Amino acid sequence: MNGTRVGNRIIGADAPVTVGWENIPKVEGGPVKRFVFTWFQPTMLVALVLFWYYAPNSIATASTAIALGIAFKVLLLGLEWVNPRHDSWRLTWKELATDLFYVGIGYTLVNMIESYIGAGAIIGWVQDSFAWEKFAWFMAMPLLLQAVLISFIFDFGQYWMHRGMHNWYPLWLTHAPHHYITQLNINKGAVGNPIELFLIGLGIGGFFDFMPRAFLLAGTLGLTVSIYQHINVRFNTPRWWRFTFNTTEHHSVHHSQDYEASRSNYSGTWIIIDRMFGTCIDGEAELLGMEGGRPMSIRETMTFPFTEGWKSIKARLGRGEPPPEPAAVPAE
Amino acid sequence: MKFPFFDHIWHIRGSVPLAPNQTHDEAYDRLMPLFLKSGTTHERSGDTLTFEKKDQEAQDKMSIFDRGVLQIVDAPGGSFLRYRMASRALLYCFLAPLLFLAFAQLNIQIGEWEKASAAAEAGAEEEDEKETIELPQNVIDKALGAPAPEIDGPGAEDEEEGPSPTPAYVFAGLFVALYLGGRILEDRLIKSLFRKRLHGIGDDKGQNKKDAEGETGSRMLSF
Repeated sequence: MNGTRVGNRIIGADAPVTVGWENIPKVEGGPVKRFVFTWFQPTMLVALVLFWYYAPNSIATASTAIALGIAFKVLLLGLEWVNPRHDSWRLTWKELATDLFYVGIGYTLVNMIESYIGAGAIIGWVQDSFAWEKFAWFMAMPLLLQAVLISFIFDFGQYWMHRGMHNWYPLWLTHAPHHYITQLNINKGAVGNPIELFLIGLGIGGFFDFMPRAFLLAGTLGLTVSIYQHINVRFNTPRWWRFTFNTTEHHSVHHSQDYEASRSNYSGTWIIIDRMFGTCIDGEAELLGMEGGRPMSIRETMTFPFTEGWKSIKARLGRGEPPPEPAAVPAE
Repeated sequence: MKFPFFDHIWHIRGSVPLAPNQTHDEAYDRLMPLFLKSGTTHERSGDTLTFEKKDQEAQDKMSIFDRGVLQIVDAPGGSFLRYRMASRALLYCFLAPLLFLAFAQLNIQIGEWEKASAAAEAGAEEEDEKETIELPQNVIDKALGAPAPEIDGPGAEDEEEGPSPTPAYVFAGLFVALYLGGRILEDRLIKSLFRKRLHGIGDDKGQNKKDAEGETGSRMLSF
């Protein structure tokens, strides 16, 4: 396979990747269906931003955000059922149960650990060390600007953590299991080794939670933009949206079996960060995963960083055989 | 001592009648595409077929099963296919609530330990009074009618100590529902799949062809 030249890179030499928006299929069906799947994403973004902008302080709380998040995910699962992007990504009972196991681990074990030695602890320390009055200038800005800045700053940190995971072997070992997913569904973002979930949560976004409304508005950008990274729905995403925000198309390229394609689209929400640093590839892919799409079990996902790390250490010390390619090759 | 209910947790068994005048070979030929999937090995010995699956593909219609035995039995009313298959996915889903309940207990223990240590540290210290700070609000937001910001003062910390066990309870309940749903759904789906294959219902022949092409196609696409 020859692939497609994008800048200095050849995309799709190892596995099929569709490059360019003009080559991506459109939503098929009647005018109502096409209208819904063209405007769903912007409408939900505006609706939820307006909700958080005007909700009384008694309603604008973290528990409301959690309830809305769950309800929105259920709605998106329904959309996956109605208008899947690829039939080969259809959600099955086993996939749903597996995905929810990882989501559960994230909400319980990872959150608990994070509150003591991760982002929660760091944020608590930072907030205790600085008086909030020093950030009054930030809070005096328009609310939406505050929210966009919080979201952008958080995503900027995530971009570099994610890019680091693809470029530094020890970090790659924690991230690699996530790249063994062979299809995208709404909960697939949680699938991976818990260490990775812990590391990716290390952002300063949570630091802003002393500004509840701006923080919740920023969270809404995650809920109504970033969530589509792992969704099996065909949308006619508006041009301005896909230029600014990450989409399932972008993220499918990132999860492609093609090595070069997987080294693109690192951001979570703002794809313009990838555009800034030359790592954006506009397109989509259906064949996802590693090692030709080998599925990875939950057990292997949990042990992978340790077993592969141990193999690498032994190989480096000359006591064992080098790990087989490409099981744990850092993406560099 | 036998525990039939225990066995039903992760085994699915049932039977499907063969099509009228269908020979055993014809029946197995119709079922064969299911056992040619990636990660599946099978062995046929007379009227019995045993299979094992490892690293099942997500879209494998029998992905929840790890091994099983199928047997064609002749009876006065007509031959039928009898099957008994094991699923670790069902077993783990059945056990998952216990794991999340354990996480909940861990959270409660940590919470109690934190309360005790916080009480010991606080001693006779008086609690800071809660104060409400007035936060700045941009004129644009004021003009657009956004509610005025409020924040509890630094003295107003959460009374709750330690992580909450609620998410763990929610996920324990979720996996109970998932297990019950999956046990019923997958039982029906596999019965329906075998019946459609054996009787050529719907797009069976086309499906057989699609499956055969899919095997080759996916190899071609993944190089």
